[in-house]
Amino acid sequence: MHAKPLRHWLTIAAVAISLSPLAQAADYVGGDEITVLQGFKPGGGSDALAQLVQPRLSEILGVDFVNEYMPGATGAVAWTRLAKQSPNDGSTISITNTPMLMTNYIMNDAITYKTDEMTPIANVVTDPGIVVVSADSPYQTIEDLFAAAEQSPGTVTIGNSGVGGDDFFTTILLEQAKGLSFKKVPFQGDGPSATAAMGGKIDASFNNVGNVYGQVESGNLRALAVFAEKRLTSLPDVPTMKEKGVDVVAGSSRGYSAPADIPEEARQQLIEAFQTLAKDPDFQAQAEKRAMNLDVVTGDDYRAMIDKMESDYREIWDSVKDQVGR
Amino acid sequence: MDSSLVMIGLTNVLSVNNIACILGGTLLGLFVGAMPGLSATMALALLLPLTFSFDPATGLSMLASLYVGASYGGSIAAILLRTPGTPSAAATVLDGFPLSQQGKAGQALGISLFASFFGGLMSGIALLTAAPLLGTLVLEFGPVELFAIAVLGITIIGSLAQGSVISGLLSGGLGLLLSTVGMDLTTGTPRMTFGQINLFAGIDFTVALIGLFSVPQALTLIENSHRGGKVASRITDRLMPRWCTIKQLMPNILRSSGIGIVVGLIPGTGGDTASWFAYNEAKRFAKDKSRFGKGEIAGVAAPEAANNAVVGGALIPTIALGIPGSSSTAILLGALMVQGILPGPNLLTDYGDVTYTLIWAVILANIALLVVGLAFTKMSVSVTRIPDGFIACAILTLCIIGAFAINNSLFDVGLMLGFGLFGYWMSKAGVSPAPMVIGLILGPVMETSFQQSMLIGNDSFGVFLESPIATVLLILALLSILQATPFFRWLRAPFKRRLKPD
Repeated sequence: MHAKPLRHWLTIAAVAISLSPLAQAADYVGGDEITVLQGFKPGGGSDALAQLVQPRLSEILGVDFVNEYMPGATGAVAWTRLAKQSPNDGSTISITNTPMLMTNYIMNDAITYKTDEMTPIANVVTDPGIVVVSADSPYQTIEDLFAAAEQSPGTVTIGNSGVGGDDFFTTILLEQAKGLSFKKVPFQGDGPSATAAMGGKIDASFNNVGNVYGQVESGNLRALAVFAEKRLTSLPDVPTMKEKGVDVVAGSSRGYSAPADIPEEARQQLIEAFQTLAKDPDFQAQAEKRAMNLDVVTGDDYRAMIDKMESDYREIWDSVKDQVGR
Repeated sequence: MDSSLVMIGLTNVLSVNNIACILGGTLLGLFVGAMPGLSATMALALLLPLTFSFDPATGLSMLASLYVGASYGGSIAAILLRTPGTPSAAATVLDGFPLSQQGKAGQALGISLFASFFGGLMSGIALLTAAPLLGTLVLEFGPVELFAIAVLGITIIGSLAQGSVISGLLSGGLGLLLSTVGMDLTTGTPRMTFGQINLFAGIDFTVALIGLFSVPQALTLIENSHRGGKVASRITDRLMPRWCTIKQLMPNILRSSGIGIVVGLIPGTGGDTASWFAYNEAKRFAKDKSRFGKGEIAGVAAPEAANNAVVGGALIPTIALGIPGSSSTAILLGALMVQGILPGPNLLTDYGDVTYTLIWAVILANIALLVVGLAFTKMSVSVTRIPDGFIACAILTLCIIGAFAINNSLFDVGLMLGFGLFGYWMSKAGVSPAPMVIGLILGPVMETSFQQSMLIGNDSFGVFLESPIATVLLILALLSILQATPFFRWLRAPFKRRLKPD
């Protein structure tokens, strides 16, 4: 009763801010209102992306965005709704977090949606993976960590954000690439994992740059390596895993997808809107201010990105699921 | 502490505009807090985008005061209607509602308001003066220590199981069992979910709480509505507690505030845990324990001081280290990020002007709480003059809306009603729902931290003895269990005899 008027009120406020007279560039074929299903609680990382992207997208497309939060089963409640029960006329889309989007159903048979029941629109941000240790950790370089794991396999404790999250899989990828074995300690999210590393409760935390950047800058955590293609401009002294001879590039990405078979015109309009958005210097500046690492990949390329992740992660899970299940 | 930054913060807050925002935020917080199911976290998340366009000081003042207001607001419905407005007000029901039934709702609300004020003020002062010092403490609390805290918390079940110990333990055990529903942390395997993906994330504790407390109350009101003879509360003369009452409660309030600050400090535990700890300690230190649960004002003051002290406590690691102490402070941290401040330990130095603004806003919000709270509470007491039948319908409606609003899920509404029927049966059978609630709150914390501790300690229980903090807490838990058993009396008997030779 009271949540609703407040939300309406906020929508009205958001519309009032976003609707400038010049905004009506194109008429979006999917209607004048787009519902965005969010698989997580308001105030989280997905919501932060929505706050950054949607007001600007609303100007470009001339539509209003309505956020619908349906948290549960690490996003699977919302994504099942998107794939199975949402109108495919372009009026409903969802924020899709990878690799959670596919690891959800790869790991649990009870989750029945598949990524081929969706139309990928655009990936927006990718937060690269990073290895951090506490400031007073004996491990000065990533080689030190490898050496420790080699010496006593299965005892070096590595924190991750939870089984099924990107950091969990990144740890396995690294283990397979280097022939090492770590003790993987799952936490409920990236924050607790980083805090445990900071307090020296675990040997290292596999995390994401956006979550720990402030702590690395201030010297509470030491970054040993990033799982990125090339060194990050924000952390120029931190080597990539590729430099160290480990071909693992991973991170946590967030983008937008629609249900399968939406009208081609709607799909094109949405994709073009994201392409326009990506070029907006104000958007780029705001993203940087919020420590979001832009990685705009649209349409078929986003589809290819999702398909590759799906087959990669399925393969990893098949190779380790018996050990994890114990 | 840079005193010039402290003063900049104070002057930032002290403008007509910001004070108006603090008053508005507090009022909104009171309202949100009083409604079962609407939480501070939810309101903060919804208000956050609105503050983007504000000046940083104004936005932060509004958000902080909303958080403070909601921490108190939960007790209003808990005392008047036996329906805790927020999870952290669940402990307030135990003594608050009996007071209300005795026609002393005004007194209970007044004590609750003053205890909240003192708790909030104390934690605000701790935040202002000792944040960097206390902040480093947080890093000492890893999974091993968290497990020990959870175990200590679980022992509260023993002392809450009044009357029948067996039924209390049963209720607590059931809570623990239900808390295992959902995905296993270390394997990702869904347990007891029956293929229902709405259960993958576990049973939302707030959903269970609304069902267990509010629905049985509504049904009982309907049952008794034809009997009449309702005790209308006399509030007008009693809302302001007498000075001597406050003075008498002061040790209790100070102790509870301390508990609130510490529990708030530790990421992973919050107001819902702190209020039970404080209630339990108030009972332990009381001379006459038998009055607890029947309308003892100390049983209202303790949880309320604690849950408001959590606000400042949870903000300590947030501003000292950039680690949010609760989900609400995580959103406040988000508000700082929007102002171009990256969370990290430099919040008190490089961004000191904005951070001290936030701290002063918390302190001023507590003063605003006293003013706005008095007026708001005075109005809300008139609820007791409405016929029971209407109240029952209003409670049920709020329960359904509240359960839905948590995850926007109809499944949760069904779950809440299921818990409601079970809670009604429990109240008929004379089984207290309080131990079950503690089991539901602490079960996941205990299980998760146990699994993590075992991984970190290479499957050796020795890991708990290597940590001094965990060892002390576990010994306290053991003593707490012993205290509830006949062993303790046998052990104490020789000492007593020696003291009083007859």
